[in-house]
Amino acid sequence: MGHWEKVLWRRQPFLDNYIPPDAFLSSLRTNPNFQPYTYWSVVLLSSAVTQHLSSLFIFLGIYVRLKDLTLHPHLLVWSSVCCFVVGYVAWVLLDLSGGLDVDYYANFVTTLKSSILMFLALMSLSPVLRTLTAATSSDSIWALSAALFLLNILLADYSSSKLQGHTQERLTSVLSMNAAISSSVVLASRLSDDLSVFALVLFAVEAFALFPMFRHRLQDSPVLFQSLLTITLASFSLVLTASISTTITWLFFFALFGITFIAPGVLIWAQRYKNEIRGPWDVAVPRLN
Amino acid sequence: MERLSIAMISDFFYPVVGGVENHIYMLSANLIKRGHKVIVITHSHPPDRVGIRWLLPSLKVYHIPFPVIASSATLPNFLTFLPYFRTIVLREHITLIHAHASLSSLGHEGILHSHLMGIRTVFTDHSLFGFEDAASILTNKLLVGTLKNVDAVICVSHTSRENTVLRGELYETDDTNKHSKRIIVNPNVYVIPNALVADKFKPDKIARRSDEITIVVISRLAYRKGIDLLVATAPRICAAFPQVKFVVGGDGPKLIHLLQMRERHRLQDRIELLGSVPPSDVCSVLNRGTIFMNTSLTESFGIAILEAACAGLYVVATQVGGVAEVLPEDMISFANPDEDDVFRAVSEAIEIVSEGRHDPQQAHERIKTFYNWEDVAERTEVVYSAALNSPQRDLMERICRTMQLGPFAGPIYTIILIVDCLFFLFLEWWSPREDLDFVVDHLQK
Repeated sequence: MGHWEKVLWRRQPFLDNYIPPDAFLSSLRTNPNFQPYTYWSVVLLSSAVTQHLSSLFIFLGIYVRLKDLTLHPHLLVWSSVCCFVVGYVAWVLLDLSGGLDVDYYANFVTTLKSSILMFLALMSLSPVLRTLTAATSSDSIWALSAALFLLNILLADYSSSKLQGHTQERLTSVLSMNAAISSSVVLASRLSDDLSVFALVLFAVEAFALFPMFRHRLQDSPVLFQSLLTITLASFSLVLTASISTTITWLFFFALFGITFIAPGVLIWAQRYKNEIRGPWDVAVPRLN
Repeated sequence: MERLSIAMISDFFYPVVGGVENHIYMLSANLIKRGHKVIVITHSHPPDRVGIRWLLPSLKVYHIPFPVIASSATLPNFLTFLPYFRTIVLREHITLIHAHASLSSLGHEGILHSHLMGIRTVFTDHSLFGFEDAASILTNKLLVGTLKNVDAVICVSHTSRENTVLRGELYETDDTNKHSKRIIVNPNVYVIPNALVADKFKPDKIARRSDEITIVVISRLAYRKGIDLLVATAPRICAAFPQVKFVVGGDGPKLIHLLQMRERHRLQDRIELLGSVPPSDVCSVLNRGTIFMNTSLTESFGIAILEAACAGLYVVATQVGGVAEVLPEDMISFANPDEDDVFRAVSEAIEIVSEGRHDPQQAHERIKTFYNWEDVAERTEVVYSAALNSPQRDLMERICRTMQLGPFAGPIYTIILIVDCLFFLFLEWWSPREDLDFVVDHLQK
C-alpha cells in the first residue's frame, strides 16, 4: 500500500470508497472569521434601538397632551426650536472635534435658509393638514398610524457608522422616515387648531428625520455621552407615558429593559451554537485591485 | 459481472448540453458496451423530444411530460412521478436506478420510489454547494432526506466527496470519545472521476508561429466562472506581453463587461469574442491557442480544464474546488482567485510555453492514460454490485432513518414516504402488473 494522494489523474492502489483517515476533511474550517461579541459592547450597540423607541414614545406622549389640550402648542414650538439649536450646535462641535475641514459659515447659511423654508412651508400647510382626513373615522387613523409606526420601527437604520465604514443612506431607512412622517401627519389631522398641527409636525420632523441622523453620528462619540443620552431619553419617555397609562408604561419599560439588557445576553448565549462550515467547495471571492 | 438493467434518472440530459448530460450519456454508452441494459429517464423537451427516443448505441430515453420551471429542472413534488416511474421500471425489468445531480427532482423522486419495487439506488453528485445561504440550506435538507435511504453515492472528486458527505450527512458520529468527536463516513460513498474521449481533443499538428501566443477561454460568462478576474487581468496581460492574443468562447451575463473592457482598453484586435461555442467546435477553438485560462470561482471537477489539457494546451487555473486533483502539477499553473496572482500565473505560463517547455503531443498522450470512460464504467460496476449486495432496508427502518432528519423535516418526510406507499398500493390496484406491456429483450439469450 502506497501513500494516498488527493489526486484523480492517477489510479491509486486504494478502493474508490477508501477514506484517507488524515486527509479527509483536512481543509475543513469551522468559524474561521468568528469574533465573539462581548456583553457590554452589544448593550451599547442596542442603545440605538432604545433611543429610537424612546423618541417615538416621547412623540406619542406629547401628541396625547396636545390632543387633550394640556400642553400649549406655543411651548412645543419653542422647545422644538431650542432642541434644534442645541442639536445643531452639538453637530458643529462634533464636526470640530472630528477635525473636519468644512466651511462653517456657508454651512450655517444653508442650514438657516432651509430651516426657515421648512418652517414657513409647514406653517402654510398646517390648515390643509388639519382637515386632511376629516372624512375618515378616528379608528382608521389610529390603526393606520400604529401600522406606520410599526413599519418605522422595523425598517429604521440602527447600524453603527463605526461598523459600516460608510454612511450611505439605505432605502429602508428612507422608507422608515417616510412612514413615521406620514403617521405624524395623519395623527396631526385629528388635532383641533392649526397651531397644534404645526407644532406637532415640526416636532415630528425633528424626532423622525433629524434625530436618527444625529443618533447615527453619535455612535462614534464617547460611551459616557451615548449612555447619558440613552438614559435621558428613556426616562423622559417613561415619565411622559406614566401619566397617560400605567399598563403601557410597564409594558414599555419591560420592552426597553429586554432590548437593552436581556436581548444582548441571549445573543451572547446563542453564540455557542454558531457553526459556520468553510472549505474548498465554497465559491471563492475574487480579489480585484 | 451478471447483466444488469439500469435506469439513469436525471432532469439533465440531451438535447441540453452540459457536463452532467454528457456524463450520463458516456457512462450509459460504456455500460451498454459492457453488456448491460441501460435506459435514461428525463423530462420532455417539447415539441420534438417527447415520448421515447433512441440514441446510439441502443440507449432508450424516456421523456416524461413534466414542465420545466427553471434551468432545465422540474418542480419537486415527490409523488407525481410515481405512475410513470412504476410503469417504466416494471416494463423494462429494471433492477437498479442511478440518479444524477443534486438539483434534479426526478432523481430524488426516483430514489424515493425505488424501494417500493425492490430496486436498488445509486446517486451521483456532480456539483459543490455551500452551507450558508438560504437556497443551499433548503436544497441540502432535501438532499439529506433523499440520501438517508440511498444504497450508494458516487462523487466526481475528492473535494466533492467531502462536500457531499457533509451536505448529505453521510456519516455517523463516534460518541465513544467525548472530547474529540470523530466522524465515521459511511462506506458507501465512492469517488469516481469524470472522463473524456481523448480522441475528440487532439492537439493541432500544424506548427504554430512561435512568436505569437493565444490564450483561450471557454466558459459560461457568469460571476461563478470568475469572469471578473478575466476582465481585470486581460488588459494587464495584453499590456505586459505584446505577443499575446485572447480568444474567448461562451455567452452569459458578463459578456457586456468583457465588451466594455475591450472597448475601454482598445483591444479589439487582441481579444476575440466568439459568443457561444457548440460542443462540436470546442476542439477547433482550443486548437487555436497554446494556453487555456480558467478563472472559475467554484468547480467540482473542471472538465473544461481536462479537455483543454488533452488538446495540448497549457492550463492556468484558479485553485478552487476539485481543480487541483484533476491534473499533475507540471501540466497546470495554479493561481489564487486574486488579480495579481492570476497575472503572475499567466506570466509563468507564457514563459513556459514560449520557452517550449510544454509539448502538446506528449501532454495528449499522457491524458489518454489518465482518464477513459471504460475505466469509469468498470469502477461504476463495482459500486453497482456493492449496492445490489448491500442489505435491503425495510419500510420500518426507512421510517426510523427518515425521522432522524430533525424535528420538522423528519415528520414531513415520513408523511411523504407513507403517502408514497399508499399511492403505490393504489396504483397496483388501478393498473395491475399483469396488464402491463412488458418489454421483450431480444438481446437476452
